[in-house]
Order: sequence, then C-alpha cells, then structure tokens
Amino acid sequence: MKKWGSVVVAALLSLSLAVAGCANQGQGAADANEILVGVLLPVTGNNATDGKDMQNAIEMAVKKVNDSGGVLGKKLKIEVADDGCDPQMATTAANKLVSQNVVAVVGGYCSGATLPSSGVFKNANIPMIVPAANSAKLPAQGYDTLFLINGLTPDQAQTAADYMAANQAKKVALIHDNSAYAKDLADFAKAAVEKSGGTVIAYEAINPEEKDFSALVTKLKGLQPDATYFTGYYAAGGLLVKQFKQKAVPGLFLVGDGSFSEDVIKIAGADNAEGLLITATPTAEFIEGAEAFTTEYKQTYNNLAPGPFSALSYNAVNLLADALKRANSTERDAIKKALKETKDFQALGQTISFNAQNTLDTSNFAVLKVTGGKFILAK
Amino acid sequence: MEILVQTLADGLVIGAFYSLIALGYTMVFGIIKLLNFAHGDLYMLGAFVGYSLLSMIGGGDSGMGLFGILVVLLLTMVIVGIAGMGIERIAYRPLLLAPRLSILITAIGVSLFLENGAMIAWGAQYQVYPLQLSHAGINLFGATITYTQIGLVLISALLMLGLHLFINRTLYGKAMRAIAHDQTACQLMGINVHKVIGLTFFIGASLAAGAGTMAGAYYGTVNFMMGFIIGLKAFTAAVLGGIGSIPGAMLGGLLLGLMETAGTFVFGGSWKDVVAFSLLILILVLKPTGIMGEKVTERM
Amino acid sequence: MNGYRKKLPVVLLLLVAAILPFLANNYWLDVATLALFYIVLAQGLNVVVGFAGLLDLGYAAFFAVGAYTTGILMTVYGWSFWLTLPVSIALAAVVGVIIGAPTLRLRSDYLAIVTLGFGEIIRLLAINLSITGSASGIYGIPRPSIGSYVLAGQLDFYYLILVIAILAVLAVKRLGTSRIGRAWMYIREDEDAAEAMGINRINMKLLAYSIGAVIGSLAGSVFAVKMSAIAPLSFSFTQSIMILLAVVLGGLGSIPGVVLGAVLVITLPELLRSVEDWRYLIFGIALVAMMLFRPQGLWPARYDAGQAASGETEAALSGRGDDDVNVDAEKCNA
Repeated sequence: MKKWGSVVVAALLSLSLAVAGCANQGQGAADANEILVGVLLPVTGNNATDGKDMQNAIEMAVKKVNDSGGVLGKKLKIEVADDGCDPQMATTAANKLVSQNVVAVVGGYCSGATLPSSGVFKNANIPMIVPAANSAKLPAQGYDTLFLINGLTPDQAQTAADYMAANQAKKVALIHDNSAYAKDLADFAKAAVEKSGGTVIAYEAINPEEKDFSALVTKLKGLQPDATYFTGYYAAGGLLVKQFKQKAVPGLFLVGDGSFSEDVIKIAGADNAEGLLITATPTAEFIEGAEAFTTEYKQTYNNLAPGPFSALSYNAVNLLADALKRANSTERDAIKKALKETKDFQALGQTISFNAQNTLDTSNFAVLKVTGGKFILAK
Repeated sequence: MEILVQTLADGLVIGAFYSLIALGYTMVFGIIKLLNFAHGDLYMLGAFVGYSLLSMIGGGDSGMGLFGILVVLLLTMVIVGIAGMGIERIAYRPLLLAPRLSILITAIGVSLFLENGAMIAWGAQYQVYPLQLSHAGINLFGATITYTQIGLVLISALLMLGLHLFINRTLYGKAMRAIAHDQTACQLMGINVHKVIGLTFFIGASLAAGAGTMAGAYYGTVNFMMGFIIGLKAFTAAVLGGIGSIPGAMLGGLLLGLMETAGTFVFGGSWKDVVAFSLLILILVLKPTGIMGEKVTERM
Repeated sequence: MNGYRKKLPVVLLLLVAAILPFLANNYWLDVATLALFYIVLAQGLNVVVGFAGLLDLGYAAFFAVGAYTTGILMTVYGWSFWLTLPVSIALAAVVGVIIGAPTLRLRSDYLAIVTLGFGEIIRLLAINLSITGSASGIYGIPRPSIGSYVLAGQLDFYYLILVIAILAVLAVKRLGTSRIGRAWMYIREDEDAAEAMGINRINMKLLAYSIGAVIGSLAGSVFAVKMSAIAPLSFSFTQSIMILLAVVLGGLGSIPGVVLGAVLVITLPELLRSVEDWRYLIFGIALVAMMLFRPQGLWPARYDAGQAASGETEAALSGRGDDDVNVDAEKCNA
C-alpha cells in the first residue's frame, strides 16, 4: 500500500515538474521593452573566479549600453546560466537559455564546456559571442552561429615562439595545467618552437588545484632552460612565478593570456613578478578609454582588479549591441549576418573583424613585460 | 646532490602538511570508523580564518613579529576546532548507529556546505594572504632551505609531538585509545564516549586548520576549493601509513610527499598523480593495513 | 498486493515519461534526459553497492570507458554507433574485472579507496593520452542513425535513453530477484557464511563489478553521441560521488528508490538554479538533513515483502560489512 502511494507521489512530482517546466517558459523572458541576452559562464566551481570577473564586466557593459539609451529603443537584459566549466552542466545551461528565448549569447570560458554548448546554440540558431574560450577546435566545428573574439591559440603560440627565438632562447620548457585551453596552447607552442629551431627540453603539466610545484621547479632548474612558458591560468601561474624566483631557475619566464591579470603580480609578489613576460592581447594601459575601464571596474566592484577576460567580455557585449543596431532587428539571422559583417569594430585593446571562420581576421597578440608592477609592451 | 637535498627539503614541507591533515582523518577513522570527507575543507576553513584574523590585525608588514603569528595560528586552531566539534555534534553524532554509507553521504553534504559557504563568505576569488613569509635561508650542498621551511617543519613536528604525548600520557588520550579499541567496554567503565569523540574532532580539525594557516602563509594564496585535492592526498597518506594509526599518518604524509616528487622527476608532472594513485592501489592490495596499521582480523 | 495494483503506478509513470517531451521545454527536456542518464548509471552502481555491498567511489570510470570507446571508434575509425556498443560493453566488462580483481581481498573502506584511485587513474589517462584527445577530449562525434533516420534532436535522445533506462531497470530488477542476486545479498550480509553455503564469492563479486561496469558504459556510449563532445571533466570524482548519492539517497538496493534518487540528484540543483551561489550550499544542507532524518534512503528496499517487516530489513541493511562497529555503538548508546 505504502509503495503504491509513493509511486503516485513520484508520478505527481514529475508531472508538476513538467508543468513547472512549461511555466518556466514564460518566466525570465523579456518583456516588449527588453532584449534578453544569455550569459553562459562558470559562476560556481573551480573556475568561478574568472567566471565572476567576466560576469562583472558584462554587467558593467550592459549598464553602460542601457544608460546611453539602450539598443533599438530597448534595454538589454542578461540571463546568467552557470556552465560550471563542465560539459554536461554547460549543455543543460545552454538549453535553459534556449528555452528562455534569448536573442543571443555572450559567454564561454572553458573550451571543454564551450564545445558542446556551442552545438546547442547552433541547433537553435542562436548567435554566440565567445570572449574567452579559444581552442582551435571551436572554429573547426564550422558553426555559423559561433563568433570568437579572443585570439586563437596557434597565433598566440607563434607569438611566444617568435619572441623566444628573437631572444636566443633555444632550450624551452613548456608547462600546462591540464585544462583544454592550456594543453592546446602548449601543444601549438611546442610545434612552433621546434619549427623555429629551438628544442623543447621539458613538456610538463601541473595540477592547478595544488599549490606546491617545488618538485617540478627543482627538476627544471636541473635542466637549465633558456625560457619557460606556462600556458595555464593565473592562480597557478602566480605561484609558479614565485616558486621559480625563489629557487632561482634561470631563463625567461613567459605566461599565456590565461595568466594576464593583475592578480598574477599580486600572487607572485611584485618583486618576483618583475620581468615576467605575458603573451596576450594587450588591453587597459594601451588604449584610450581602457584606463577608464579599469578604474570604473575597480570602483564598481570593491577595488577588485579586472580578470584576464574582463575586457574581452566587455567587448563582447558592446559588439553585440553594435551588431543589433546594424541589424536593426532582433531576428537571429539578421544578428548573425550583422556579426559576420563586423568591420573594424573598435573595442578595448582590439579591432574586431571576422574572417571566414568567424574568428578574428588579424592576430593582435603581443608580448607584455611586467615592469615596476605594471604591464608594459615588450620590445 | 643538490637536487636530492632540495627535493628532500621540499618534500618534507609538503609532507608535513599532508601529515597534519592525515592525522585528523586517521583519528576520526580510528575512533568512529568514519571517512570524514569534509576534513579537507576544515583545512580550507583554517586558511580563511587565519586570513581574516591576519587582515584584522593589519597583515604581516606591520612588524607584528613571530609572536603575533603564533597567536593567530593558535586562535585559528581553536576556532576551527570548535567548528569541527560543532559539525560532529550536529551532523555525525546522530548517525553513529546508521549505516556507514549514510554517514559518508552526510560528510559529503558537510563538505559541500563548507566549500560553498566559504565561497559566499570570502568570495570566489583567490585571496592573497596578508602575510608573506621570508625566503631567506641557508645553503646546504647548493640547495636552498629557507628559514620558513625549517620553521614550518618544526611547528608541525611540535604539534605532532604534542599529539603523541597527549594520546599516550593523558587520561583523555587513554580514553581515546580505549574507545578505538572497544566502545562498549568504555561505556561500561563510565567513560563519556561522546565527549571523547567530540574532543577527537576538535583535535583533528585544529590540526588541519593549523596546516591551512601555515600553507596559506607559505604559498601565499587561498581559495574556497583548496581543501578538496589536498584532502584527497592526505586521505591517501593516511591509508598509506595505515588508517587508524597515528605514527602511520605522519609517516604516510612524508612518504607521499616524497613519492610525488620522485614521480615528477621520473615520469613528469602529467603522470605524477597516476604514479601516486597506482602506488596507493599496489600497497593496499599487497598490504591492506598500510605500513603501520595494525592487523585487524575483521570479518569481511 | 495483487499484480494489478503493483503495475498500475509503473504504467502511469511510464506514461508520464513518454508524454513529458510534449509538456516540457528544451531546458526541462534536457534535465529529464540527464535524469534518465543518472537512472541508468545509478542502477548500474546499485548492483555493485546496493546488491553486492561493494562500496565503489570511482564508478564514473566505467561511464568514461563507454563514452571514450564509442567516441574514438566513431571519430577515428568511422564505425557506426550501434557497432561500438558491443565493443564498449566488452571493454567495460574487462575493465570491471581488472578493477574488481585486486579489490576482492580488501575490507570495505579500503575497497572504497582503491576504486577511488582507479577512477582517478582512468580520468588522468584520458587527460594525458592523445588517443582520448587529451584535455579537450573528443568532439564532433557523429549522430547515430536507425536505417535512414538520423537521431539528432533532443527528443530522439530522450527516447533513446528512456528505452535504455527502462531496460536497465528491468535487467537490474530481474537480477536482484534471481539466484545471482540472492547470492550477492548473501555475500553482502555475511561473506563467510555465504562461502560456506557454496557461493563462489570471487566469481560473484567479479560478476557484480562487470555488470555494473557494462551498464555504466552503455550510458557512457549514449552520452557520447548525445553530447557529441566529451571531455575528461565529465568523469571526475564529483561525478562518481553524485551517482553514489543517487543510490544512497533513494535507498540502497531498492530499484524504485534509486530511480527516485537519480531524479532528485539531477533536478534539485536545477530547481535551485535561481538562488545561484547558494544552490550547492542548500543542496549540502539538504543532504545532511536527509541522512539525519531518513538514513535508510527515501524509498528503502524491502527484499521479501511477505516475510520481513520493514524494521527488520532496515536493521539488516545497517549491519552491512561493519556489524561489529554498529553493534558496539548500539550497546554504547543503549
């Protein structure tokens, strides 16, 4: 008897769930005066830090757009969904955004989670602007809805390899953090270094959830590299820089754009970070108006420095707003077409035009150097 | 030689952290046979409480000296120790009679609670510790051993020695050993079993918190997920040494620290954890009681 | 209990499941699909943990074996999805035996740790090997087809996994009441006595591992084609824990309980999505509360309805593997 009741309860439960699902369709949808934009980022879990930085920048950009009159006479409204940097969570979150009928999506941090979620948006014909994830595998899918505004991995690897070659660094050590992005970059860097006549004397991985890399540092010290290139994210990057300095490992130290954040200096300590090289798309200090971005960001968010992808996320929203204006419509095909036709869109630290693959048509990676606690363009 | 000495010194530091955390696992397991999955998160909590205390008194730059740091360390250990007792009282004690799996699930729930609670309280960002320890040191066969490393290993050794004396020389220690041996008889002999179990949680939590604060100051960053992986490692260390055995936990921690280092050298960083886990499995299969665990004749 | 009363609710439930896609939007359909995946996975783990009493903390490894086998065979060698199924099943059975064999001598807690270690090793292998696409995993896995009909939409996969879930539930249910199932439960309750009664405990335990592995890998294979991209992140320790959670939450060894548990483990965090930061915090509190007030699971197993009162069954459940400790604790608290 008891069992019978329970089954009925379960059945009712699932029915109510389904009904809740239907009801949900209406909830969150924009009213006539709003344009709903989906935001897909990891706001919980291991990568929540960067996810939140990006979300902050996106909110800031949306506020700015709305304060200056909005788009097409409407206000932008964002709907954040958490992808947790997990393929399975990302798919669910993407489907959630699809059912809320978002006009377009800004987001995608981990390439591993963005690969499946971009497929969901492709099926729903919703344009997605990706500010961070930049695995070469993303454009290789050939989706016409997917637009990447971060430089691609091979370009960045080439920039790093060129710089090392120019500075007579022949023996190169590569370290990644086992994330899809970092491994991708390390692989491309390996190829690029070998092509330019250098040798990769170590190809190593660290676990970014750990803090003690002393074994690896000691091992590299024994190998005496001319340059070491870490391709992972800044939390581990800062610690690595610090531990390298403490153990006095010789050679140049380069990090990828995942470590392009003031936090890398804060974590490593200003003394240790001095002379650190970063391959990244330069932002903030170099472009007029970017200084204002950094200041405003810090004011809005409790003196928190922008993360590595904050500026790019900010750009993504502005690009979308621009495309909406040019499309003069919230029709998905029109937005897609407008995005595709983006020509020399001026954004923080970059000029955006898309090539046939919907990625940036020019690589604008540069090498920056930490000098006096600031990022300065390296010669 | 240089590399060997350097590796040993570094391995000793990480091993000391593993040991301090492993002790908590082993003590709790020894006494109530619970794998406390939330234990690594107490380490994280310790790091954050220490972070807040240090920030309150103005960080390490203001020359507060070694004494101030030690006071913060002790205060953190007491605060987190009490939190550990609270967790035991609320989440574990009512379940002592329940199937062992339910108490394991409870521990997972507590772990989720602590991690996400810390994320809400302190933010998802990596926080830079207000105290940065000096990197001056002595030179030994070309390897640099910093005073900080020596200090950390000494403090850890003192804590472990204190624990050893406590367990072997005091009445409460005797009660702990007795309860691990036979709870029923203890109850009959008039020992307040719950009180002693609470005390065990207090000690385990405060040791983990001590490790957390020290690790925060040593490495310089804290974040809310930092307890997970080190908890897993410390757990491995506890098993390696023989779960339930206190000297085993110390030895296991040190061995794991050294094994990982060796793994990095021989197989490279990507395979380090594969090596550590494979060794763990091998040891368990060949000698399931760990290195120092007692032979338990248990009906399976 | 006559057959009709027993069957009616099941039929009702199936009906709800069948019409669900027409009531729900994309998002809830995806959640429901995930829940079905979890039902399959949790049933597989139920065989290992619930029936045979072998605590497994690395079950996601089998899920990974299935997903990667299908992924690699389809993308690299261009196999058809249906042909990869027998391969992934066979491979999972072998892996199950490999993982199971060394654990046979171990006590329950050590067993848990060894399985945890194996789970991590499989994940790390997936990250480090190039055949598995290393950290970014495998993407662009083609869609399967039946005849000329290509399964591509959400709806197709929902029904595909629904069929598999029903098959898994039926298979596990039949196994549970079969001679093998009774042998497992005998081993779980008292291994020595079971052996004395002529049960080959080594074979039986290995069989439990293999069957669990086969069910897990089947879910993995479908997962690969449904997601069309798989990455090591999907097969983490957390995944194993969540599957175990579904089993324990619902009730060890209880088929309807495990189904309920799987649905809850997936839907609760989704329902809590609106509270963002707080959702896993609340989930954690809910877990603790649940275990405090109903440690035997939401829908505990009742092995022989006609014979054992539910109280006795629960007592038997709590004695699993660690009778001594519990008895002691009981006396202490008496």
